[in-house]
Amino acid sequence: MDYKLLMNVAVLAGEIMLRSGAETYRVEDTMEHFLKTAQTQVAEALVLMTGIAATIDHPDMETITVIRRVHSRGTNMYRIVKVNEISRKYCAGELSLEQTYNELKAIKGKQYSVCFYNLATICVPAGFAPLFGGGLKEIVASAAIGCILALILTIGKRLQIGGFILNVFSAMGIAVSSLILCSVLSEIHLETVVISAIMPLVPGVAITNAIRDTLRGDYLSGGARMLEAFVIATAVALGVGVGMAVVNFLAPGGILL
Amino acid sequence: MKLLLGIVGSFIAILGFAVLVETPKKYLIHAGSVGAIGGGMYLFCTQQGLDVVLSSFFSALAIAFMSHTFARIFKAPVTVFLIAGILPTVPGAGMYRIVYYIITNDRVQCAYYFMQTLEIAGMIALAIFIMDSVFRLRFPLSRRNS
Repeated sequence: MDYKLLMNVAVLAGEIMLRSGAETYRVEDTMEHFLKTAQTQVAEALVLMTGIAATIDHPDMETITVIRRVHSRGTNMYRIVKVNEISRKYCAGELSLEQTYNELKAIKGKQYSVCFYNLATICVPAGFAPLFGGGLKEIVASAAIGCILALILTIGKRLQIGGFILNVFSAMGIAVSSLILCSVLSEIHLETVVISAIMPLVPGVAITNAIRDTLRGDYLSGGARMLEAFVIATAVALGVGVGMAVVNFLAPGGILL
Repeated sequence: MKLLLGIVGSFIAILGFAVLVETPKKYLIHAGSVGAIGGGMYLFCTQQGLDVVLSSFFSALAIAFMSHTFARIFKAPVTVFLIAGILPTVPGAGMYRIVYYIITNDRVQCAYYFMQTLEIAGMIALAIFIMDSVFRLRFPLSRRNS
């Protein structure tokens, strides 16, 4: 067995999963399944939120240890599912080591077009409006604010603005545009529109992963993700706050109070 | 009527969010259904006069249960359904109200909604804890599916 290639496969699988926002214990679990197929005495995988370390050792070979730093993290369910499928196939003996490596390398990032992505961004606020007590007017208004949000997100991605600042600006755009919209059409309920519109930005992913990592005893990753959730929440809150304050300042006494 | 509108709305919303987190095409509808059940549960509970915190708890419980069930049936990681599905219970409303009352300088309301938001987050955690533990108890052999 080619131990080096096995290590590469395991670490590559782990890296893809970690980058795609899988829980830490799942990454460790998948890597261990790969490493165990070497049937060495020692096969360990240690995954933190920011990096991976894996090692295999056996009396008749030299220890192989690989460390990989993972810088950027997003959320991409498609890649997690894909790696999961490939690792299942490999462990069932359906794929050879080379095939597994090539399949892992071939996993693509995006499966939806930009247009579809933006449409989805509009759908989220529009869909949430009735859940937060909105009627037909609020749904239309939320969809309109969703368009603005999609526009800001697209521009932000073009300009490659970082996560925190992009969240602040998106939330700010939402707050400003909904305040303006609601002051023009006074019968629209402002609260419902803003809450629905910030839903695509709230840290649902981070909260869920923080909880699940903590439950498995991965306190380091769990704590880190809690902090991540808190930072995202702060960014969104900050953006909404600044947006409202700006509108209030420019139109004193008129809109908010 | 309002309940129905809320369920359809959450289905569309979660479908949209599932696209944003790149859920595979074959699981989009399932993720949307999980969200619809969660949103429906939330609305139903609030209409029965339950507190927002308790409604969030039951809603998160239903979402976690459905996610685990779907994960077992369709042999996909739980995260695929859970991350998109949990969104209706995430306290976005609380976050907005905290900021709103800071801006309008109402400290009492601000503190109230701050506590409520933390409580809701805790309730979501509790619900996911419970469901994770329950499903690990019942299916110790198929842990890898989860």
